Amino acid sequence: MIRELRGPVLWAGELCKEYGGGAGLVRAVDRASFAVSVGESVAIVGPSGYGKSTLLYLLGGLERPTAGTVRLAGRQLDGMTEGELARLRRRALGFVFQASHLVEELSAQENVELPVLLAGASSRRARQRARELLTQVGLADRAGHLPSALSGGESQRAAIARALVNEPAVVLADEPTGNLDTATGAEVLRLFGQLHAAGQTLVVVTHDERIAAMSDRVIFMRDGRFVDQSTLAGRAGPELGAISGLDL
Amino acid sequence: MGRALLIGRLAIGELRRRGLESALVVLMLATATTMLALGLVLGGASKGSFALTRALTRGPDMVAEYVQTPDWSLKPATAFAPLVRAPAVIGASGPYPVAFVRLRARGMDVLAQTEGRDRAPAAIDQPLVTAGNWVRPGDAVIERSFADQLGLRVGDTIALNGRPFPVTGIAVTTGLDVNLWSSQDTVWLVRADTEGLATRQHPLGYVLDVRLADPSRAAAFLNSPAGNAFCHTCSGMVMLEPWQWIGDAAYRPIARNQGVLVVMSWFIAILATASIAVVVEGRMIGQTRRVGLLKAVGATPRMVAAVLLAENLLLALAAAALGLAAAHALAPLLTNPGDGLLGPPTAPSLSAASTVIVLAAAAAIALAATLVPTVRTARATTMRAITDAANVPSRAPALITFSAWLPFPLLFGLRLAGRRPRRTALTIASMTFAVAWVVTAITLQHQINFINRASALTPPDEYHPTNPLTQVITVVSVALVIAAAITTIFSTWTTVMDAQRPSALARAFGATPRQIAAGLTVSQVVSGLAAACLGIPAGLLLYATVGGRLGPAAPRAVSVLAVIPGTMIAVALLTAIPSLLGARRSIAGILRTD
Ligand SMILES: Nc1ncnc2c1ncn2[C@@H]1O[C@H](COP(=O)(O)OP(=O)(O)OP(=O)(O)O)[C@@H](O)[C@H]1O
Ligand SMILES: [Mg+2]
Repeated sequence: MIRELRGPVLWAGELCKEYGGGAGLVRAVDRASFAVSVGESVAIVGPSGYGKSTLLYLLGGLERPTAGTVRLAGRQLDGMTEGELARLRRRALGFVFQASHLVEELSAQENVELPVLLAGASSRRARQRARELLTQVGLADRAGHLPSALSGGESQRAAIARALVNEPAVVLADEPTGNLDTATGAEVLRLFGQLHAAGQTLVVVTHDERIAAMSDRVIFMRDGRFVDQSTLAGRAGPELGAISGLDL
Repeated sequence: MGRALLIGRLAIGELRRRGLESALVVLMLATATTMLALGLVLGGASKGSFALTRALTRGPDMVAEYVQTPDWSLKPATAFAPLVRAPAVIGASGPYPVAFVRLRARGMDVLAQTEGRDRAPAAIDQPLVTAGNWVRPGDAVIERSFADQLGLRVGDTIALNGRPFPVTGIAVTTGLDVNLWSSQDTVWLVRADTEGLATRQHPLGYVLDVRLADPSRAAAFLNSPAGNAFCHTCSGMVMLEPWQWIGDAAYRPIARNQGVLVVMSWFIAILATASIAVVVEGRMIGQTRRVGLLKAVGATPRMVAAVLLAENLLLALAAAALGLAAAHALAPLLTNPGDGLLGPPTAPSLSAASTVIVLAAAAAIALAATLVPTVRTARATTMRAITDAANVPSRAPALITFSAWLPFPLLFGLRLAGRRPRRTALTIASMTFAVAWVVTAITLQHQINFINRASALTPPDEYHPTNPLTQVITVVSVALVIAAAITTIFSTWTTVMDAQRPSALARAFGATPRQIAAGLTVSQVVSGLAAACLGIPAGLLLYATVGGRLGPAAPRAVSVLAVIPGTMIAVALLTAIPSLLGARRSIAGILRTD
């Protein structure tokens, strides 16, 4: 239902996020605006400490902006209570973190079940969905393993399965390959490629050239702001046109 | 030397940074040591008051009593003849008539006995008047502890079997076993007035106060030929009581309090150990990283352990000092043998041995509670400690599978409880002790009320005998409940800190703050439920073990079972605020840190 919405599924206008105050004021995100259409995949790249993670948390309602607006799946996030945000996230969002952040005492399967149970489905339905998703990410034979018994790449794939299990409108990923070496990163990369091909809306913060290369659009961030494509040194190709339309 | 100084400095620095937790540990330990010290002090309470009162009232060496029945009577002179003629007996006062009556005063209606006395002082057992005058015809003199119970003073009027008597005196004696049921509640009248109160249903009894040649052999006299002859002559109810027994009886409440205090100090000691273990574990969660850093800069595991133990030993010593001081202040209240005797309460002091015992106990509790987490933390490899991986949660597969069927807050709460089984067990233990004690207290209080009701003929609305045991029970119940409350809050807070990541993750995937707060509360309420279910039988068992009788005096099942919802509600209220605080922490802030 959410997938059939027209226009941007995710929209940010003049987003600002400041931490601290006075001399210690940090402007992590500074008047960032953009829109993501259904089925689009967007890569956000930029140097460390320039507000990429903060932006992602703002888009997912995990953090409140100092100013600006976020619209997700047709709903405006500002003014929503924590409870309303949480309920919206159940259906509209899937998160992938840099550290896979699986719950340590739960097996891969149980970790993937968690969002389904949270959305109110029966435990049987949760088990079935989790098994499907683990198969999809190639972890069917690792379902019973605890996170400590999974490799870095396997953990991250389990985390991706968890993010996808409720068929969210948008998947937000924060450096999904950041903790992995090139070889293990490739497994995760392949998975993102498949998702993109299947029409999953994706916003990925990354340092990984390869993810950026297969996105519909690359946004470059510096000092909390989106910068013009001209600063994308050495980049050329079809993505540039998309970037020029950033400041809505 | 330099190393000891360093350890001390590190320990004190840490204590100052964690002032609140340190204060709570001290509070728990101080409560335990106070109880222990009080128990030890009461063991040494002297019997000075009884000796003084006995001397001043020319107390008897032996009291003989016999009671007629409606179809049997014997002249008192005949009944007591074997005693008076015995070679060991060198003097006697009496026999005095005793009538068993209903006493009404100030709306109260109780059973009492009246003893008929002469106006002239007796050579043996002359009660000492502490207010008003000694008996005159038509007047009543009341035994002091009885007067105190009923709230009677000189100038009041009482009715004995319906006949009014003005109260003209209050007196003390050692000729009565003040704690023996039949003779506790005594009123002195002149002989004629007493004899006039006898009824067909309750005929007179007689009392003889005896002086022996060798008072120290009073107990042996019971089995002498004269003692046996007295008991055989009288086929009615007979009583022969040496003065030592009367003396012991005067201190029976103190001995009973001591027993209660000793049991209690064990209770509180165990509870304190459990509570402190929860607190220590909580602070270990914060300290693992610090320990890792200490080790990274070259501290040995032994030194790290020494710092942690030093911290808790310092707290234990502070608590023991507080406990000893509190016991010193409270002891006179509990060693007062009551209004039945003369003289100031003997203020017993703590012996050096007792002081050492109290200090050692406090240290032992602190060590027992600290040892496991300390050793575990100190032995964790340096890297594991720095990355805080030493605290891997445990997995309870059955619980995880089962909870998947439940609504999310229950699912989350049960899994949190199963995640840290040691902490959960300690929390349950501490709550169980509090519940068990509360159940014991309810039962005991119910029995005290039951006995009071049985002794009064009308509902005892105004009849509130002051019972030091009741006060002790109340104090202990309050102490235990506070201790359990502190443990619960700590356990919740520790759970909140420990569950930060799972909570933040659940919220990122759509759990509302309310669901998280409810889950955190559930994780503690299940402990409360388990504690209530364990604590009720434990409390009844404890009550039976210390000599309590159930049966007709048992409280109704409803009031005992009410402890279960009561505990759960109390736990839910205690954990609500820490849970809500925990559920509102910034998700991004928590998930960003790795
Ligand atoms: N809770 C906070 N309080 C103060 N400053 C913060 C807080 N969280 C983030 N910052 C600051 O905001 C800025 C942006 O942080 P952010 O994590 O979004 O950067 P990033 O681009 O994701 O970096 P990286 O590539 O290293 O992950 C940084 O300077 C950071 O120090
Ligand atoms: Mg980041």
